[in-house]
Amino acid sequence: MVDEVKALSAQLAQEPQSLVFLRLGELLRQRRQLDAAQRVALLGLERHPHLADAHDLYARILADRHDYERAFDEWDMTLRIAPEHTGAMKGLAFLYFKVGDLAQAESHLKAAKKVTPDDFTIEQALAMVRGGAEPAPPVPVAPPPAPDEAEAKPLAESRVFAGLEGAEEGLLLLDAAGLVLGGGLRSPTGDDVTEAVAAYLAGVSQEAARTAKLLGLGAWRGLSAEGRQGHVHLVPPTGDSLLLVLRDRSVPLGRLAIVAQRAAQAARHWLERQQ
Amino acid sequence: MTAASFAQALDQITRVPGVRGAMLVAGDDGLVVAEHLMEGIRGPAVAALAASLATRLRRAMQAAGTGAGHFWQLLCERGGLLVVPGASGILVVAITAPDVNAGLVRLELLRAAEAVG
Amino acid sequence: MTVRAVESWTLQPLTDYVHEAGARLVLLMTPAGQVLAQFGFTRAVDVMAAAALGAAIMATTTELARQLGQPPFAALNHQGQRHGIFLSGLTTGRGALVVLAVYDLDVSSLGLVQLFFEQLVTDLRAGSPREGVPKQVLAADFERELNESLSTLFGR
Repeated sequence: MVDEVKALSAQLAQEPQSLVFLRLGELLRQRRQLDAAQRVALLGLERHPHLADAHDLYARILADRHDYERAFDEWDMTLRIAPEHTGAMKGLAFLYFKVGDLAQAESHLKAAKKVTPDDFTIEQALAMVRGGAEPAPPVPVAPPPAPDEAEAKPLAESRVFAGLEGAEEGLLLLDAAGLVLGGGLRSPTGDDVTEAVAAYLAGVSQEAARTAKLLGLGAWRGLSAEGRQGHVHLVPPTGDSLLLVLRDRSVPLGRLAIVAQRAAQAARHWLERQQ
Repeated sequence: MTAASFAQALDQITRVPGVRGAMLVAGDDGLVVAEHLMEGIRGPAVAALAASLATRLRRAMQAAGTGAGHFWQLLCERGGLLVVPGASGILVVAITAPDVNAGLVRLELLRAAEAVG
Repeated sequence: MTVRAVESWTLQPLTDYVHEAGARLVLLMTPAGQVLAQFGFTRAVDVMAAAALGAAIMATTTELARQLGQPPFAALNHQGQRHGIFLSGLTTGRGALVVLAVYDLDVSSLGLVQLFFEQLVTDLRAGSPREGVPKQVLAADFERELNESLSTLFGR
């Protein structure tokens, strides 16, 4: 485990923008090195202030330190960023239980169960809340996959876009909650940014849909944007999925829209086959 | 910048056929700074929603490593929003019909953004 | 986290407002500081303090406006580094009410908070009961009613 901490620390030092801090922070927390875990979590939050998992990690550390008020704030923030984050729901349930608000504790656990009905720890916690016994502290969410898995995953999932240009580094398919269904993204500098971008896209699509609805513009069909280092185009292939196309700035927005249409068609076919 | 020069910048945008209105929006607050809108368009709603969408999109683009966007377009069934963020944090926004010449609107938005700073 | 209401007709409008505006904390109260509904507060003492301060600010600005010969100010907004505070009065069939909303600048904006406040006012007006004859409040009743309200607001 010490070696793993060393390896993760070295990896984080090499790639400060990566999400490896989540695993390192959790590992340190589990080893009860709470000062170090907190430093790692705060550094991660500085770089990824809108990443739900980063707030969740920090909240777990604060809860371990019995700083329940700040832990509450962090889990609250987690749910604002990712309303279906079960780790945060369980964490808040734990805090409500601690202050004796059993109704709120149960309500949060029920909400978590709706999102992940197969998570047996939620059922256990529910039983404890109903029975009045102390529930276990929030169960940590599954750590991010090991590097081998992380590298293999986008390759396997890139089959969604088989035959399309950029299937592994410029096309990304997500579900409505922002979870990756297929494809992968690399930034113009070559970094894997799949997870980091996915974390923000659900919020973008929700806001695009709300804007279109409230301004009486009908359903939204796409969102394209030019950046200094690259261009993106976002479309909803189906009502509950989201597709992002990322290209360098040499590809004009008009062409990006065409690429997005083709990729959306491939995504729709792939999603139909999964049902 | 004076109110008259704001109005002039917006006027150029609304001359493009298919543009239903143009606005300057405080990007941080989502409040209207200046507007030139056809009747029936709710300026405060456009301002608040465009600024919120701009903020979320900027975070996603920064995570993607493309840098903050300098032009974006929301395409909808019955029209769209085209937005250029100015250097001072002001958003220049156009509300358009579906069949608008987006390239021309983009140019006018970029000019207006340069003018308002 | 859910909205807690002493008067149930406020529940849905406030729930919608919290969701749409992305507010972190919301209090709906009378100008005297009696809380009708709350969202986001975890401790009764915070609700009592916020209600008292919010009501005091409204009373102060209303008096300032009166001395200036102006109608009461529509709304107040204070913006800090991370949070904004929005305070506004409204009238309903239930009488004059005050909304205090705290929002994270990361999640929301003054524009969104104001935009959806208009909808909140419409919804509260549509759902409010007609104001009855104000009952006389006795000191003995006051503490009991306050405790009952706080129990409801915190789901105890």
